[in-house]
Amino acid sequence: MMPALRFRAVGFRYPDAAREALRDVTLDVDAGTFALVVGPTGAGKSTFLRAANGLVPHFSGGSFRGRVTVDGRDTLQFPPRALADVVAFVPQDPDASFVLDRVEDELAYGMENLGVDPAHMRRRVEEMLDLLDIERLRGRSVRSLSGGERQRVAIAAALAAGPWILVLDEPTSQLDPQAAEHVVAALQRLVHDQGITVVLAEHRLERVAGSVDHAIGLDGGRAEAGAPATIIRRLAMGPPVARLGRLAGWDPVPLTVREARRIAGAELPTPNGASAAPRLVTTSDRRASITMAGVEARHGELVALHGIDLEVRPGEIVAVMGRNGAGKTTLLRTIAGVHEPVRGRVRVGDHPPEPGIDVGMCPQDPESILFADTVADEVRATLRARGLATGPDPILEALAIEDLADRHPRDLSAGQRVLVAVAAVAAGMTPGLLLDEPTRGLDPDAKERLVHFLRGHANDGGVAMVATHDVELAAAVATRVVMLAGGEVVADGATAHVLGDSTVFAPQMTRAFGPGWLTPEQVAAALA
Amino acid sequence: MHPGAWLTWATCAGVVTFTTTDPFYLMTVVAVAWFVYTTQHVPGPTARSFRVFAIAALATLAVRTSLVVFGTVDASNIAYAALEGARLATLLIVFGTFNAVTDPYGVVRLAPRRFHEPALAAALALSIAPRTVDAVGRVREAQRLRGIHPSRWRSLPSLAMPVLETGMENAVTLAESMDARGHGQGTRTRYRPERWSMGAIATVATGVAAAAMFEFAAWTGRAELHPSTSPLSWPQVEPLLLAAIALLAVPGFTRRPPRASLGGRGPGDEGGR
Repeated sequence: MMPALRFRAVGFRYPDAAREALRDVTLDVDAGTFALVVGPTGAGKSTFLRAANGLVPHFSGGSFRGRVTVDGRDTLQFPPRALADVVAFVPQDPDASFVLDRVEDELAYGMENLGVDPAHMRRRVEEMLDLLDIERLRGRSVRSLSGGERQRVAIAAALAAGPWILVLDEPTSQLDPQAAEHVVAALQRLVHDQGITVVLAEHRLERVAGSVDHAIGLDGGRAEAGAPATIIRRLAMGPPVARLGRLAGWDPVPLTVREARRIAGAELPTPNGASAAPRLVTTSDRRASITMAGVEARHGELVALHGIDLEVRPGEIVAVMGRNGAGKTTLLRTIAGVHEPVRGRVRVGDHPPEPGIDVGMCPQDPESILFADTVADEVRATLRARGLATGPDPILEALAIEDLADRHPRDLSAGQRVLVAVAAVAAGMTPGLLLDEPTRGLDPDAKERLVHFLRGHANDGGVAMVATHDVELAAAVATRVVMLAGGEVVADGATAHVLGDSTVFAPQMTRAFGPGWLTPEQVAAALA
Repeated sequence: MHPGAWLTWATCAGVVTFTTTDPFYLMTVVAVAWFVYTTQHVPGPTARSFRVFAIAALATLAVRTSLVVFGTVDASNIAYAALEGARLATLLIVFGTFNAVTDPYGVVRLAPRRFHEPALAAALALSIAPRTVDAVGRVREAQRLRGIHPSRWRSLPSLAMPVLETGMENAVTLAESMDARGHGQGTRTRYRPERWSMGAIATVATGVAAAAMFEFAAWTGRAELHPSTSPLSWPQVEPLLLAAIALLAVPGFTRRPPRASLGGRGPGDEGGR
């Protein structure tokens, strides 16, 4: 049987790049495989995916060696449009990839181009609306959708044209756990029932590791393919259970909660609350509590937040969680002082928040703040604007990105851009630091640096709030979780308590070992 | 409604506007366009772009009138310039309404197959303005939240660079997306071609009637369509022509068809602002 994708000695260098993004990649992806592309941030995952449908080199320029064949067609001879009937691609940021305005038209666009019979097209659009659970969005403008809704529309639009290879770049990065589960399950169904080949890059391995049957590991542009367990083990990456396996010296490391439970053998008793209790710092010059009382905020007619009472004290790291569209971003923007509530009050210390002075906030798309020529200059811009005398080095070191200091921010990978944006915002030394969905493109190592950094901020008496869908990030760093639904706070308490109670938001350690267990480090210590 | 009906409506309203400088007729056209906009616009980002057109209309009126200072400043010249400006402003309002009530791609689809490419390019170009307006707002807010105030001219790069670079990146992503989805492959089919409803037919019929009445009036000189500004005179109003303009309000009474109905809640929250 002919492989769906065949890479032969593929090397690729972007124009003006110092080193190759792909080096001597030789591998096959068989038809009907659910393949995971895994590797540290900046390892060449996006480049690999884009080479799989000819966007590299047709749109990127640069120097390309070797041969990629898709269903037997050489990508050098067939431009992406001539491959559209066999391979579909969902980019990391689906927002910019929408061609049309209305959801339904967007789904039909690819089929219109391929000349699909109108009756078939009509039926196919309905199937896609159901498959991705977006029927209620059909008449909406794509620009009015939430991040998670957009992602699902982008996947549906790619699938609609009926490709038999589907390539996705971090398809769940903006989805809440439930929506992510839906998407992964839908992809798995496509592989099982329809024999479609799915190739996806993903950092949150806990979401996909149990579903994929093949893995392609990338590191520094070199690729290695094999069984998921082998590849993940070799790259020293993996979901929290794999990390636990490594800490506990298990061989092979588990990839799923079920395997971890089986290897550990015993249930663990619920840990005493000491380790999960928030550490509050009250002696620091940066201290300022954030308080919200009876806050209601709207987007036009729509009530986005309602009856919010919240107090966040210095030293706390709060994870703001909840479904796509629950009001997380609005909550952060209201605290930051850029979204005026229609009712209630917001205070930082004893006064209304002054944006950029009391509270700094890192937006969901880090690109919207990066403008300097180098990473160091990016940080200097904030320091200058805030009249701070320090240099950029301390903050770059705190995030362990000093090696990027002279790079151009726009040349970095998505994950690296996030860290640079966090550095640029945190350099302002605001008492409150808000991060909106900071884990897109972040590998576990980069996430670790972010966790370390946030702890430092809190220990210095700062307040940190992170809106995130990433339950493992919340489990690792948050002292407290605020759960939003429909613009209201539905749960607010210690991380172990809130996440332990939830079926959807429970981190892997809680799933494997019961409430109270949050991080692999905590469990490994208890098992030792 | 069928985009062809809207295209006809906008063309007829444009013809009426172009035929006259009588402020009473022009104001009636604006009122009718506003009525059509409020009853028929697609909720969402297009509402914002209508505001942009309204502001542009006011600016046009102001600029056109103030150009008088380059010539003799007297009541006649000011009145003449103001009426010319009002005509341009009215055209902009009509176009803004058209833009707000139709999906640009719906209009593209009307283009014959061989004109599809330039029409699509035009539609995409039109969508750049509202996207840029969005991006400017987003970047300005994000920079404020790190303590940089892009309103100061020294900080202009902090606003301009992200908007331009993101704009460039988005343009490339869009081009890639279109290509990867088979754009320009030759054989095209159409998804759910819009049907001609009674409302659409009525809109076309009444629109054409309104334009025809004005053209007839202009051709026969039966009514005064350009009030004299030298000497200044009070504009005449022919009730029949006012009624003709009122005919342009017909699409405002049509029911929005079910396929454009909105499912679920309003604009999204996360990133959808």
